[in-house]
Amino acid sequence: MRILTKTSLYYLIVSIVVFLLGGLSFYKILQTEIYDEVDDQLFTDKENIIEYIRRHNELPNVTSGISEAILVKEHSDRIKVIEALTDTLIFSAYDEEYIPFRKLSFIAYQNGKPFQYTILKSLMDFEDLFESTMLAMAWIFLLLLIGLAGVNYFVNKYTWLNFYDTLDKAKRYSLTQREPLYLNPTKTREFQELNDVLQAMTKKIHNDYINLKEFTENASHEIQTPLAIVNSKLELFMQSDNLTQQQASMLEEMHASVNRLSRLNKSLILLTRIENREFSETEELPLHEVLLEQITHLHDIMQMHELAYQVTSLEPTTLSINRGLAEVLLSNILLNAIRHNCPSGTIYVSLTAQELCISNTGKPLDSSPEQMFERFMSGNKAAGSLGIGLAIVSKICSLYKLQPAYNYTDGLHKLCLQLPKKYANSF
Amino acid sequence: MKLLIIEDESALNASIVAYLQQVGYTCESAEDFRKAWRKIANQDYDCVILDLTLPGGNGLDLIRLLKTNNPEAGIIIISAKNALDDKISGLELGADDYLTKPFHLSELNARLRSVIRRRNITSQKVIQLGSLEVYPESAEALVEGRKMTLTKKEFELLLYFVSNKNRVLTKDSIAEHLWGDHIETLDSLDFVYTHIKNLRRKLIETGAEDPIQTIYGMGYKFNY
Repeated sequence: MRILTKTSLYYLIVSIVVFLLGGLSFYKILQTEIYDEVDDQLFTDKENIIEYIRRHNELPNVTSGISEAILVKEHSDRIKVIEALTDTLIFSAYDEEYIPFRKLSFIAYQNGKPFQYTILKSLMDFEDLFESTMLAMAWIFLLLLIGLAGVNYFVNKYTWLNFYDTLDKAKRYSLTQREPLYLNPTKTREFQELNDVLQAMTKKIHNDYINLKEFTENASHEIQTPLAIVNSKLELFMQSDNLTQQQASMLEEMHASVNRLSRLNKSLILLTRIENREFSETEELPLHEVLLEQITHLHDIMQMHELAYQVTSLEPTTLSINRGLAEVLLSNILLNAIRHNCPSGTIYVSLTAQELCISNTGKPLDSSPEQMFERFMSGNKAAGSLGIGLAIVSKICSLYKLQPAYNYTDGLHKLCLQLPKKYANSF
Repeated sequence: MKLLIIEDESALNASIVAYLQQVGYTCESAEDFRKAWRKIANQDYDCVILDLTLPGGNGLDLIRLLKTNNPEAGIIIISAKNALDDKISGLELGADDYLTKPFHLSELNARLRSVIRRRNITSQKVIQLGSLEVYPESAEALVEGRKMTLTKKEFELLLYFVSNKNRVLTKDSIAEHLWGDHIETLDSLDFVYTHIKNLRRKLIETGAEDPIQTIYGMGYKFNY
């Protein structure tokens, strides 16, 4: 939910409560005031009538009061009437409805003879007042809503504009782009603070990234060059005549170790470079073609291991990915399937628009499947295996948001990569 | 055949020069940008082997100079900077091949042979070693005029041997030449052995004397 929608909703809820309570108390206060007023008038009338009788010793003319109706009748002793103030409804033939009245009954004496007076006062005004109050409240409420929407719109358009701009830029910011994050200055203090913090943070991260990148490249250069020297000297050394067998095999072992070290170094550098997201160049890659290329490339190796392979399905699928990384990804998975196979085993390859699955026959895992993707975790110390292939696979997968899933059923290791829906499409 | 080796690391430069001289090339070397520039500006070479990161300048500029001054020269980049963009821009500028350090000298030699072969239209399309004829373009090999039936890998192996004749080749370098970076997967050394056994058998069957000598503990040598 957007923050403006959220605040508006709170405003609205509070407004409804305030208006309901406000309307109710307004109504109550008005009611009390009007009753007071009407009662005052009734009592004034009463006082006037009694005063008139006392002064003139005759009953006043009924129309003389401010009341709307004054009824007089002779009072019999039999019924005891005390002064009473009540509400009553009287049917009005004109309005064809019951109209609320306030009624004051009292006894006045003329020459010792009791007369019962009933003064009625209409409360119709009050009803009208109540209605107009509610109507006014409703109008105010409506206007407030419109005002709120309007304020939101303008706040959204002008004040939050900078915020959304910042958000958008931060979203699209990638460390691999070489310039630091630039955010438009804003007059809103909080947003300016946010921008400053973001800029300072990305600047620091950017610098760290550059340092790391330089370190990686330097490390690569600094390690590869001495390795190249050792390698070349060993090779030259091997060309010399009159080496004893012992010396020769020592040389060969040194050479093999140096080779292993260089391959390890190359793999680690690749891993770091994937982590640094240096392979930002992507293309819509026809995955089926690259897969076939890699299979053809490895055909020879499979044959040497006496492995058969079977492509169960190969749908034309494109994936937005860096070509080099895609090749590394596929060949590493295939090599893994070769390495951990059993004699005369089979490799099954299936590619659909949804997923890429590569399965191979083999013995169950010694360790948990989670550990499989960690560095230097070789299941069985297979010949020359560095245990880094699947770590690279996992890195590439997380870079492109491919979901790797592994399971083992009926002697078959199955590794599936869930292809992202938005990228996967068939021709 | 005159080569120029541009590599700032003098020990490595010396190794390359030594190996290639043993194979029979005339080699000159330069260890910084300025020297390399002067040499390229003044002389023609058949092939230039250069490192991209040099003191005093960028190797890519040397490639540009070579392309205007000495366009017939083959160019092989050797770089420790496994950076993809360097490789791409190097090859785009007209380099013929790219090798990442560290590499086997025998591999460099094989690539060099191949570059020179491809560059030099006038040179013979066949490598003749006694009764053995190897045609790199058509991937054919003949012994005394009789054609050998070789698999793709066996031919690659033969060509590698022929390019590095009379040199000791380690099993590792052979495996890496044949299967590239994939060799860490394999019991590659056994496969090298199998391939060499087959190649040897086919050479003998077609009538050649066994030219492949096993150097105990180290590897193999193709004697001629």
